[in-house]
Amino acid sequence: MTGEILAGLVAVLDWQVLAFLAAGVSLGAVFGSLPGLTATMGVAVLTPLTFWVSPEQGLAMLLGIYCGAIPAGGIPAILINVPGTPASIATSWDGHALTKKGQAGLALGVNALASAAGQLTSILFLAFLAFPIANFALRFGPAEYFGLALLGISLMAGVSGQHVLKGMLAGALGLAVALVGLDPMTAYPRYTLGFSEFLDGISFVPVMIGLFGLGEVLLQVSERHAGQRVAAAMLGRILPRAREVRTMLATTFSGATIGTLVGAIPAAGGDIGSVIAWDQARRTSPDRDQFGKGSLRGLSASCSSCNAAIGGAMTTMLTLGIPGDAVSAILIGALLIHGIQPGPLLFANNQAFVFSIVFLLVLASLLILVIGLLGAKPLARILNIPRPWLWTGIVLFGTVGSYALNNAVVDVWAMFVAGIVGFAFRKASIPLGPLVLGLILGPMMESNLRRALILSRGEWTPLLQRPILIAFLVAAALSLLWPLIRARRGRRRVPNVSS
Amino acid sequence: MKRVDRITGGLFLGLGCALAASAAAFPAGIGGLPGAGFFPRVIGAFMAVLAAALLLRPDLRGGSSVSWTSNGQQVAGMLGLLFAYLCLWGTGFFVLRTAAYVAVTLRFLGQEWKWAGSYAAALTAFVWLAFDMGLNVTLE
Repeated sequence: MTGEILAGLVAVLDWQVLAFLAAGVSLGAVFGSLPGLTATMGVAVLTPLTFWVSPEQGLAMLLGIYCGAIPAGGIPAILINVPGTPASIATSWDGHALTKKGQAGLALGVNALASAAGQLTSILFLAFLAFPIANFALRFGPAEYFGLALLGISLMAGVSGQHVLKGMLAGALGLAVALVGLDPMTAYPRYTLGFSEFLDGISFVPVMIGLFGLGEVLLQVSERHAGQRVAAAMLGRILPRAREVRTMLATTFSGATIGTLVGAIPAAGGDIGSVIAWDQARRTSPDRDQFGKGSLRGLSASCSSCNAAIGGAMTTMLTLGIPGDAVSAILIGALLIHGIQPGPLLFANNQAFVFSIVFLLVLASLLILVIGLLGAKPLARILNIPRPWLWTGIVLFGTVGSYALNNAVVDVWAMFVAGIVGFAFRKASIPLGPLVLGLILGPMMESNLRRALILSRGEWTPLLQRPILIAFLVAAALSLLWPLIRARRGRRRVPNVSS
Repeated sequence: MKRVDRITGGLFLGLGCALAASAAAFPAGIGGLPGAGFFPRVIGAFMAVLAAALLLRPDLRGGSSVSWTSNGQQVAGMLGLLFAYLCLWGTGFFVLRTAAYVAVTLRFLGQEWKWAGSYAAALTAFVWLAFDMGLNVTLE
């Protein structure tokens, strides 16, 4: 094991890998700082740039974007009350209240510190618990993998808030799109429309670029996002005092724990984790009446939690091959193109690469801490970039990146169509997450169910005698039914403080 | 029921039925083992049932009120420009074509010509350098 750890460290300490990591964190900070340009969009649009480099270099850039965008999403949340990424919704509640009190710099400093604490805590979780989880997952057969994929899609649809039915429809559409290409078991062509380009299925990355890049740009154009100007000189002091740090310690680490655990649940990401952590901190803090009015405890809990979800999501992705959120779904696609299959076998066969990921995440967390503390003022100025410049840049990068993937025009058109679908889905309040999961988990579901049936000689009864599969199926059913039951009871899951 | 949900339900119902019906063209399987048509049939039927459930819901709480026409001209214009740019893909002159597309799009979005032109030139040069020169992707 020590040799593998050292090999992982040596791979990361290559100057080119570090340069890709720094570029990724910086780009992620830019993407996160701009409302509407999410971590998912950044990773999707820039993934094609990584196909020409080694897996370590490519992953360094993508993880850098991921780790950079989430904390930076707190910057517009704090300064202009508009979350840069969905994960920073709860950050705006106390962060913007501090800005209104003239303490914007302090809020940005707490955001940087708590975000780094959250990320590092969750990386510890990944480092220590990923191997036991992967060892347990080695017991899974095809039937269990089918159940796991079904659970992933069900959870994503189940956390679609008031739109569970639409979430399930989006998941079904993702599964349907995944059918295009050769049948995984018999190589029978399905829905290829006679085009040889579709025999391998519809490329995942251009679809992601369309859904999260072009679709989001079109939405912003339709909503006339003009951006908001920010005067960086008005920020004030950035570093919190020792007394302030002491008051935030407990909420920071409880937030990190909650965020890690929520992030590890397939489909539940930092947005849910940060709201739960903020609410938990409010319930247990002596100054609960200050929450939503500029509480440092509330701010630290939400910041640490939404960032801790990164390590949780990475743990699920690496150990089980199931995406924890939309970003990790794209990361799976990127890893597959590099010939790396996330899942328990990765821990058995390529431990050095797993440790490389852990070290990359640690370095990215430290780098974003430095950027967050030293670069708060320049990052605040990014909000002043004219939106049309960003929109055209994203569309052009997405288009060329989609083409560059296979030098195929069909991929560019896939991106175009996916962009229109992404725009229409957003307008119709249909969640995109289940569609992504359906697309990536569809082949896994189908091939594993059919393999399981081959092993059971076509009998369904033996499948229902496998306890792990039963547990997954029950959890999938509960995840879909629970929101409907709650809605019927009229309970509110999330406290409404955003108003 | 909101109009957008009715349209969504109708579209998914049609898609689900089409998917389930088209599965008949694929091998159904041998014995108890499902063939290539099994999953399309199951997914199509599942989608149709969900869509029917959406259509039959008497009241959709929390459904957003959608204004498809808000700034619709700019959305349609941006898509039209991108469509035209993609139709010309592979006809050569990547740098010129791309710079023109970016400049016209920026102008369409309300930017002044001088800024649109300058930014279009810089962005096109950056993309060309990154992909064509840096990554050896043939863009022409």
